[in-house]
Amino acid sequence: MAEKYLTDREIKQKNLKHRVKVHSLQLGLAFLLLGSWQYMADHNILDPFFYGRPTGVLHQLDVWVHNGTAIGSLWVNAWVTFYEATYGFIAGVVLGIIFGVFLARNKTAAEIFAPYIKVSNSIPRVVLGSIFVLWLGLGSVSKVALAFVLVFFPVFFNAFQGTREADNKLISNARLLGASKKDVLRRVIFPSALSWITASMHVSFGFALIGAIVGEFLGAQRGLGLLIATAQGNFNPNGVYAAMVLIAIMALTAEFLITKLENRLLNWRPTQVSGSDL
Amino acid sequence: MNRGSAVKFEKVSKRFRTPKGTWYQALANLDFEVEAGQFVALVGPTGCGKSTALTLLAGLEQPSIGSVSVNGKEVQDIDTSTGFVFQHDATFPWMNVYNNIAAGPKFRKLKEHDALVKSWIAKVGLTGFENNFPHQLSGGMKKRVALAQALINEPSLLLMDEPFSALDVQTRSIMTDELVALWESTRSTVLFVTHDLEEAIALADRVIVLTAGPAQVKADFTISLPRPRKARDIRFTAEFLEIYHQIWNVLKDEVDIAYQRQLVAPSGKK
Repeated sequence: MAEKYLTDREIKQKNLKHRVKVHSLQLGLAFLLLGSWQYMADHNILDPFFYGRPTGVLHQLDVWVHNGTAIGSLWVNAWVTFYEATYGFIAGVVLGIIFGVFLARNKTAAEIFAPYIKVSNSIPRVVLGSIFVLWLGLGSVSKVALAFVLVFFPVFFNAFQGTREADNKLISNARLLGASKKDVLRRVIFPSALSWITASMHVSFGFALIGAIVGEFLGAQRGLGLLIATAQGNFNPNGVYAAMVLIAIMALTAEFLITKLENRLLNWRPTQVSGSDL
Repeated sequence: MNRGSAVKFEKVSKRFRTPKGTWYQALANLDFEVEAGQFVALVGPTGCGKSTALTLLAGLEQPSIGSVSVNGKEVQDIDTSTGFVFQHDATFPWMNVYNNIAAGPKFRKLKEHDALVKSWIAKVGLTGFENNFPHQLSGGMKKRVALAQALINEPSLLLMDEPFSALDVQTRSIMTDELVALWESTRSTVLFVTHDLEEAIALADRVIVLTAGPAQVKADFTISLPRPRKARDIRFTAEFLEIYHQIWNVLKDEVDIAYQRQLVAPSGKK
């Protein structure tokens, strides 16, 4: 039976202990996975010709960083993929929000567009990549276009739903308080749709990267997608993994920034139930 | 006093489509007037159409038949000279206390509203909580924000739809007193919907009893208890009990009717 309250220091120590435990187990798991991969590759249980090995990936990254890649400087290629994804992402988010909010507020327009949206949403959008390469060429524009179509739909649907779910009572209240139509849109509907929109932004940057990379697979002169395709063509699994590591870093950085933005925009929400974020 | 009628219902009927495609009659031939500056409580059994009457006055809905006028003008659209305090929380969750209360003046493009907003924050006792968001406030505090939000626009007509029904009993009686004090300083016309008879008598100059839906006026009582009132104390006085009994005698039949109907046909409407 406890006889005294825990002091702040004791609580802090307890939390610290827990965090140390979680992080050391995480590290241990990484060591176990990478270590067994390395072990199996070194002892030919996994053929390193097909499966590569962790040290090989590190070596590949080292070579790329210091000597550049077969298709030019690593930074240029990474940068190309990054900006293709980012442009596509921004365009998709902005237009997705505009169309989503507009159609949710305009019933007739929503009825007119509904079948078109359903049809275009049912097309596996990656297929459009080939068309975009034909239309827009091997440069960045076709990749931006593919990233855009991949981002647009999830953002559009969330913005649409979020706008629809805006509380009618809050809209009535705002109008009685003297809000114009524009005020209602800016001060009531948009903020209430925002948590839906930011939720879709989390998955969307991943889609934007997929768009850029698949676009580069299909035909490009630069980019991490081309780097992967080249590595694949040369039977260089380490190259594929190394590019994957770079893409993961990019995605995690973007996710971090989006979470920052979300916390800023949605600072009015009650703090979420504490627990691990996935 | 010859201030004319602030609120006028003329043979108002209102019906809604239910999800099943049938009609739901909320009001039938509702007919009454309210003098400017009066505090009127509308009481009636659950689901009798009290709230519908308020939404018609605010212009949130239009009557199916008949007309509703406020200060001599027929209500056609949302009327911004009307203040509305909703049953459930209608403060904007993404605005802090200050911005919630400042919403009206900002929407109305009122310049130099800072002092006004601060004075209202002080009036409803929320000084020090300006930067808190609604989810960080208690139920009573949120109601105070809602009250200040509506009253800061100096509405000529204030509509309140069971504003305190979601509060616990103690907070509720405190809020009732605070409302009385605020109202006695502004004296705008108030229509207050409630099913709590005690609250109605403690607050109002006049209590209108509505029938079980569709709502019609069943009886109309003038409450001549002296002002200023302290709602928390007044309910123990003999006069209060007497008027309470009178009104309850009228109301209870309607409550029974509404209750029996609920047992027979569980309707889709709240």
